[in-house]
Amino acid sequence: MTVTTVADVPPAHDTQGRSTDHRGSWVPNAAMIATRIMELRRRRGLMAALILVNIGIPVVFLTIRLVAHAVAPHSYGPAGGYDIFSSMVAGVLFIFGFIVAATLGCTAGSVDLTEGMFRHLVVTGRSRLALYLARIPAGLAIIVPLVAVGFAFVCTVCVLAAPTQLSFNNVNVPVGLSKPALETWAAGHADEVICNFGFNIGPNSELVQVVNRVPCGGGNGPGIKIGPGAPTSPPVSQAQIEDAARQIAAVNYTDYSGRFLSPSLSLMIKSGLWIELYAAVGFLIGLGLSSLMGQRTVPVILLIVLEIVLTPLLSHSPITHLINLQRALVGTAVTHFEPGGLPSVFGGTHNGATGVAGVTETTTVAICVVVGWVVVWTALGAWRMVKRDA
Amino acid sequence: MTTTPSTVRPGQPIDSPWAVETHGLTKRFKDNVAVDGVELLVPRGCAFGYLGPNGAGKTTLIRVLLGLTRADAGSMSLLGYSVPRNRDRALARIGAIVDEPRFHGHLTGRQNLQLLAAAREPAAQGRIDASLDRVGMAQRANDKVSKYSMGMRQRLGVAACLLGDPQMLILDEPMNGLDPGGMLEMREMITSLVAEGRTVVLSSHLLDEVERTCDAVAIVDRGKVIRQGPIAGLLADSAFELQIDCSTPDRAGTLLAGTRWGTGVEVGPDGLCVGLAPGTGREVVAEVNRLLVEGGVSVYRLQEVHASLESWFLEVTTRLGADQ
Repeated sequence: MTVTTVADVPPAHDTQGRSTDHRGSWVPNAAMIATRIMELRRRRGLMAALILVNIGIPVVFLTIRLVAHAVAPHSYGPAGGYDIFSSMVAGVLFIFGFIVAATLGCTAGSVDLTEGMFRHLVVTGRSRLALYLARIPAGLAIIVPLVAVGFAFVCTVCVLAAPTQLSFNNVNVPVGLSKPALETWAAGHADEVICNFGFNIGPNSELVQVVNRVPCGGGNGPGIKIGPGAPTSPPVSQAQIEDAARQIAAVNYTDYSGRFLSPSLSLMIKSGLWIELYAAVGFLIGLGLSSLMGQRTVPVILLIVLEIVLTPLLSHSPITHLINLQRALVGTAVTHFEPGGLPSVFGGTHNGATGVAGVTETTTVAICVVVGWVVVWTALGAWRMVKRDA
Repeated sequence: MTTTPSTVRPGQPIDSPWAVETHGLTKRFKDNVAVDGVELLVPRGCAFGYLGPNGAGKTTLIRVLLGLTRADAGSMSLLGYSVPRNRDRALARIGAIVDEPRFHGHLTGRQNLQLLAAAREPAAQGRIDASLDRVGMAQRANDKVSKYSMGMRQRLGVAACLLGDPQMLILDEPMNGLDPGGMLEMREMITSLVAEGRTVVLSSHLLDEVERTCDAVAIVDRGKVIRQGPIAGLLADSAFELQIDCSTPDRAGTLLAGTRWGTGVEVGPDGLCVGLAPGTGREVVAEVNRLLVEGGVSVYRLQEVHASLESWFLEVTTRLGADQ
């Protein structure tokens, strides 16, 4: 055996016996964070699974749409656009980002214990709290870029492969019109507007007489709702039809003005920050829970159940007796910060949109719930790490 | 060995001759007392064996010393630092393997050491190559640990111990999984570490290895330290035999039967054997020789045969078991 001295390197303590590396401090050093990133990043199976879920699903879905649209553009719509973006962000990236982050957190919080490295680390004399806290920036350094890559791909496709015309109630409408411009355009496409745009009128309205005279392929358009007892009307002039189309366009302007060909830069930035927030929360909860339990599998299952089953069930609509429990769900609280222009993740409506009301809470309550989840689980995980036998 | 407790000042090491000093150290797991009022004194700069049968509480004591689990009672100090109060300062100067050395299997040996060095002082990163080289793992340092044999993981564990340039190493069953060549290398390494002035505490149930490697031992059984001290001193206090090669063993046996050593005389095919009580002086050998020669027996060889550590260990632990 070759004998090489390890004592050539300066010792860890000065001549008075004081430690020179703040070993008892709870603050992790940069090397601890860097090596923890390395340890997590080199888990190939885990990384492959996380990439597959968080990046692979959007890539596969959008690629199929791109190919289908390229092959049969009349049968398959564009791969990108505002609608696809909002569906992907609220329906896929938000939920899977949380699950992926929670899985990484559960791994970071438990593998030292299960793989026998924890006692090696404790024997170094380093503060157990520092060993725990080093996992937070390390895990976030992995999960934040991972979520960002998946999101960036969705943004890219949704912007570059956006439709050239806005389909509003199955009518191709120019995008970005002002209210007068939309009314003018409607006058020029009166039949399409009257037959397809939605509006609600009473049975005795003068508008009914006009609308009823417009042939819409065997009946009124799908959006037309006419009260009972509407009288049969005499023939109407083209000017009356155009005027009716203007009125219907004006009624629909609010809805129209919220539709875009592609997501705006502002919406993309807000959406990106929003799903990153939820991913970070998921990571921290997973880290704390797995550190508390000392294992990975059960915490991962619990968090998936929370995200896929419990939160959607409890967040869809308010239940009087459970309203505080509903508000205490981290998923509900985070959806409070969902950018306007995205559909509600767990059903119901948000941000003042019309429709079935979801669980509502004040911004203060939402912030407290999110912070509470993060702080409580982090504290519990840290406490267990400090107290447990190694 | 004196057992006077040292005075410990907060945050500073005391000038103690002991690398490890415990008083009344106790650790219970519900009704089971794994460490039972242990009084242990490990001198600095020696190889110290901590011996005991399986389940005697060896690993539990080490875990308590290293802060891996809490003691229920008693006090302890490592390298003069009172622990757990100054645990970080003490452990900065200690390297340890506890139980089977386990590492992250998906990382290489070097990467595992990088992970551990990061938790130590910055200079520890600079000792990785030297540590790997010293344990003979330099060639396999870039292989994944999942491909290592048990013996290679043991070596990697020792390399991890060396990262902090420790004043003391605590090795729990370091010979486990090593082949004869590996055991020899481990022995040589322990000897060289002690030669550098480091203290090595070696927990083992391999008595032969401990006898070859260590200068002093403590025998632990059922959580209690029942004997401790330098090996030579402990064995000198044990019973020993006088083997006699002579012309007429039967006559020699008859001659000795009438003496104060008579109850220990046995005549076997290999000659005459006289059992002597602990503490018997060497002048007895000359006295036996004179008696036999004067009795007309030609004596070709007289040899003192002291008990091995193994037989002494069995004698001590069996006696304790019988007493209880």
